[in-house]
Amino acid sequence: MASADGGAYSYSLTVFSPSGKLVQIEHALAAVAQGTTSLGIKATNGIVIATEKKTSSILIDDSVIEKVAVICPNIGIVYSGMGPDFRILVTKARKSAQAYWKIYGEYPPTKVLTQEIATVMQQATQSGGVRPYGVSLLVAGWDSHRGPSLYQVDPSGSFWAWKASAIGKNMINAKTFLEKRYNDDISLEDAIHTALLTLKEGFEGQMTEKTIEIGVVTVPTAADLEEGKIGGETGRPKPTFRKLSEEEVRDYLAL
Amino acid sequence: MNTFLERYSSTNAVSQLKRAQRLAEEEDEFTDSAWGSQAGYGQLMNGPPSFTVPNVPDPSSFLRLHTDDHADPNCRIKIQHGTTTLAFRFQGGVIVAVDSRATAGSYIASGTVKKVIEINPYLLGTMAGGAADCQYWETYLGMHCRLHELRNRERISVSAASKYLSNLVYSYKGMGLSMGTMICGWDKTGPAIFYVDSDGTRLKGDLFSVGSGSTFAYGVLDQGYRWDLTDAEAQELGRRSIYAAGHRDAFSGNTCNLYHVKENGWEFIANYDISKLHYDGPGDVAGSPGHGYGYGIRVQGRSSANPPEATAAA
Amino acid sequence: MSIMDHNGGSVIAMVGKDCVAIASDLRLGDRALSISSNFQRIFPITDRIYVGLPGLGTDVATLRERFRFRVNMYTIKEEREIEPETFAHLVSSTLYEHRFGPYFIEPVMAGMSKTPSGGYKPFIAATDLIGCLNFAKDFVVAGTASSKLYGVAEGLWEPDLEPEDLFETISQTLLNAADRDAFSGWGAIVHIITKDKIITRTLKGRMD
Repeated sequence: MASADGGAYSYSLTVFSPSGKLVQIEHALAAVAQGTTSLGIKATNGIVIATEKKTSSILIDDSVIEKVAVICPNIGIVYSGMGPDFRILVTKARKSAQAYWKIYGEYPPTKVLTQEIATVMQQATQSGGVRPYGVSLLVAGWDSHRGPSLYQVDPSGSFWAWKASAIGKNMINAKTFLEKRYNDDISLEDAIHTALLTLKEGFEGQMTEKTIEIGVVTVPTAADLEEGKIGGETGRPKPTFRKLSEEEVRDYLAL
Repeated sequence: MNTFLERYSSTNAVSQLKRAQRLAEEEDEFTDSAWGSQAGYGQLMNGPPSFTVPNVPDPSSFLRLHTDDHADPNCRIKIQHGTTTLAFRFQGGVIVAVDSRATAGSYIASGTVKKVIEINPYLLGTMAGGAADCQYWETYLGMHCRLHELRNRERISVSAASKYLSNLVYSYKGMGLSMGTMICGWDKTGPAIFYVDSDGTRLKGDLFSVGSGSTFAYGVLDQGYRWDLTDAEAQELGRRSIYAAGHRDAFSGNTCNLYHVKENGWEFIANYDISKLHYDGPGDVAGSPGHGYGYGIRVQGRSSANPPEATAAA
Repeated sequence: MSIMDHNGGSVIAMVGKDCVAIASDLRLGDRALSISSNFQRIFPITDRIYVGLPGLGTDVATLRERFRFRVNMYTIKEEREIEPETFAHLVSSTLYEHRFGPYFIEPVMAGMSKTPSGGYKPFIAATDLIGCLNFAKDFVVAGTASSKLYGVAEGLWEPDLEPEDLFETISQTLLNAADRDAFSGWGAIVHIITKDKIITRTLKGRMD
């Protein structure tokens, strides 16, 4: 019954194979490995996450596609894998962040939100009638307790923190590239530059401001912090995560 | 006696007389009310006091609506529900002890209320219920006691005085007077206490306590009371009972006023701060136990290994 | 009689110079009958946050347990101690969960909150029984003697009181206000919270 691809064990999520694997999750990881490359790099003063925005036809209006998503003012995520699954997870993550805000009056720290997302993804591996999410996520955020942090969450629901990582089609080459390039004192500007170089390594086609998306986590200055959680006239906290606009990406690409 | 009935009845002799009087007086420019309160004692020269009543179909319900009770403590007329007063008679006369707290809802409006009314130098009345009702009618009683003295060339008995008051408030029964008083004095029959209240109850007795804290006071009084208490012991019992009520009852407290009625009249003993009684006791007075009354104070440092002296001796 | 008046009790918190104080009376009653003279209604949440819970006695115990549970879960999950502002929001949302069947408590909170530069700032807050937050800068009061506490505190409080002066001020405020309330009193307890220690004192009050 057991064969290389799992055989009979591969069709039920809630059944372990004799080798101790949940074969469905293995298949989910394979779906992720087919997705476009995404990567994240943690610098001393921030984090950069980036991804290819590959469209199957030039007729697609790519301004509507959103692969780097803002969850709350201090956290953003990017994915590799199935787009629709990502959309659902983003909605759930945003709701979870708001629910946290509703109770505590402040947005969740990155680790707490990551745990929430991971719990959601894990529940899809231990329930009847559902399949695992076909995405891996890179969660980047800043909080006052841990500073900037970058986490990867897999379809199994396991998560761990990275200094720099890549997921998706070109992940092995990208990770090798990052291992060579990364050092602990890297600055955010260098990190963005390195991220673009890494993406370029495995890029199919032209890399322009329209075919990549970049999100950046910045660390608030001491002045920002002293001002308190309520920032400015709107009373909303000052965001630490933002997506770079097309002009900004173009400027970075020109370097 | 002035009765509500007499005022409004149109067919009896008194009202016909009054009508004639009114017609005769109508030309006067100034009515009696122009000279100040119509209920002022000066007006009593002309006869029993008459009270204006609101011109509504049912004055007593109207009054009940505006008098505070458990239904609506925000009414304008406040009845002093919280209080503790007690009186007991013994071989040496009558001990009268009262607290001095006045509450309006949970607000302590005053801690220095005089709840013993000195009707005359040998009669005391206590205040519970509506303060104004007690004060007014007991002072009025004092007037009539004096008139009695003048007419009969001897002091009025406590029984007669209390009966006068009792009948008076009975004529206002249902109108909303609130009064629970003890008339205390020493007359030919010896020391006497009569409990009189606005329902019309009049009871002779040896020992009474009235008010929200009365249950606490009874506890102490009942275990300490004997006819042959000495003066010092009796005063101490009165003090201690008011302390117990002031301590436990939220609506009683602040200070204790202690009076002793003797054969030749009453004597004001002292005013004691109830919290001070808790911590330090009554100080250097006859009957004082020499330490604070409070339970925590008395048992501090005590245990079975270190019992108080009295039980150690036994 | 209102349910909030059934057991009685009052709490006040005040801000001083680099310190806060929180104080309560010790009476527990059953309407007019006073039962206990050492009823605790102020509880520590962390080393730097204290919460006072005046109101119905049974809800004092229940809310204390509820907050302990939620704060413990927070501490374990976030791997850090909860900050006073965050705790205040937690109190507010816990109370609003029971909007249509509320806890009969009006919590008062006092603590020292961490500033981004690493120092500590005094913090006080109070909510009503369904969670409306009030972040005052001077003092907050709650309980059966609240109206009297407002009056005395308004008269006695001034900014930047040192811990010992703050202790005197809050003590006098509480004792004198409780003496004008039939359902508060029978002793008092005061906690002064500074950034590195907490001083607790029990006061002798009027026992009537």
